[in-house]
Amino acid sequence: EDVLLPPQNISILSTNMKHFLTWSPVIVQGETVRYSVEFQGEYEREYANEMWLPICECSLITATVCNITEDISATVAYDLRVRADIGARRSKWGTLKVFFNRITTSLTPPLMKVIADGYHLLVKLEDMGPAFQFYVLYWKKGQESRMQQKVVKEVSSVVHLGTMEAGPDYCVKAQTYVEAINRSSSFSQTQCVRAQGGKSMWLV
Amino acid sequence: GPCRVSMSMTEIRSGFTAIKSNIQARDPIRTLSILSYPDSLHKVKSSDRCCITHHLFNFYVDKVFKHCKTEDSYVNRKISSIANSFLSVKRNLGQCHEQNKCMCGQESTDKFKQILANYEGLNVTSAAIKSLGELDILLDWLEKSR
Repeated sequence: EDVLLPPQNISILSTNMKHFLTWSPVIVQGETVRYSVEFQGEYEREYANEMWLPICECSLITATVCNITEDISATVAYDLRVRADIGARRSKWGTLKVFFNRITTSLTPPLMKVIADGYHLLVKLEDMGPAFQFYVLYWKKGQESRMQQKVVKEVSSVVHLGTMEAGPDYCVKAQTYVEAINRSSSFSQTQCVRAQGGKSMWLV
Repeated sequence: GPCRVSMSMTEIRSGFTAIKSNIQARDPIRTLSILSYPDSLHKVKSSDRCCITHHLFNFYVDKVFKHCKTEDSYVNRKISSIANSFLSVKRNLGQCHEQNKCMCGQESTDKFKQILANYEGLNVTSAAIKSLGELDILLDWLEKSR
């Protein structure tokens, strides 16, 4: 029987602190190839005899992707490896070309919706998980120099930014901040709204 | 200036909470404490806190985690998560120490000697499991003394 080749093109897709290991499928005509994934942190390399830990959610799977977010939970360099199995046949391990550190995750601007509720300026932010805080900047259009900032540590339903005067537009933009890696995303598109002219007063 | 070290306390705490009862169930010796005998960490003077924190992170990384391997893959993964977070913090604390921002007084030196004595009074696996099971004592103290 031919030797079963190890998976190739092993790489990591990491966006907004969600990390996925991917690899190219091993093609063997008429056979179902299964894959298993293991990880090794810097601690294991330096203090625990280079121990590897299996990710049981990605043991003997047929998919060529594995969600490793739960195990990449420190800001250190991780190594990962994948091997293929067909029945009793087993390949060598294929490993990452370079270690992965979550500090390199790509951070996208947050989705947000700015709401004018009467004279109240509100913003609704996307819930991106416990690792994320938000810096929200807001200002009266034309008065960029008097920009105000609100730090949102936990995303509740809607965030009250302030009260508006009737007439001018009020503009808002936001970015994420991840304390664990001490990095921020770029800012979202600016959204502007105008006070809704005393809706709550004129009930008639 | 003072030693400032960023620490993902939420992640460490959630990693530990996930395995706390499993680990503490493996520790039959209820009458002894590694971290709190004879005195609680809360008695450490604020001027000595950085030094004792530095000592403790070295202690867990150098001595404790490697002797905590279990037959449970999930528990091992969580221990890895905590150990790698501790390694990251230990490095940052080491830089503070090199910049003389983490001075050691007699009290913290004595306190850490006591912790080592408590640890070496047990066989290594029992001592390591007990120390891991007491992580909430350390985390509570760290959060209170922030």
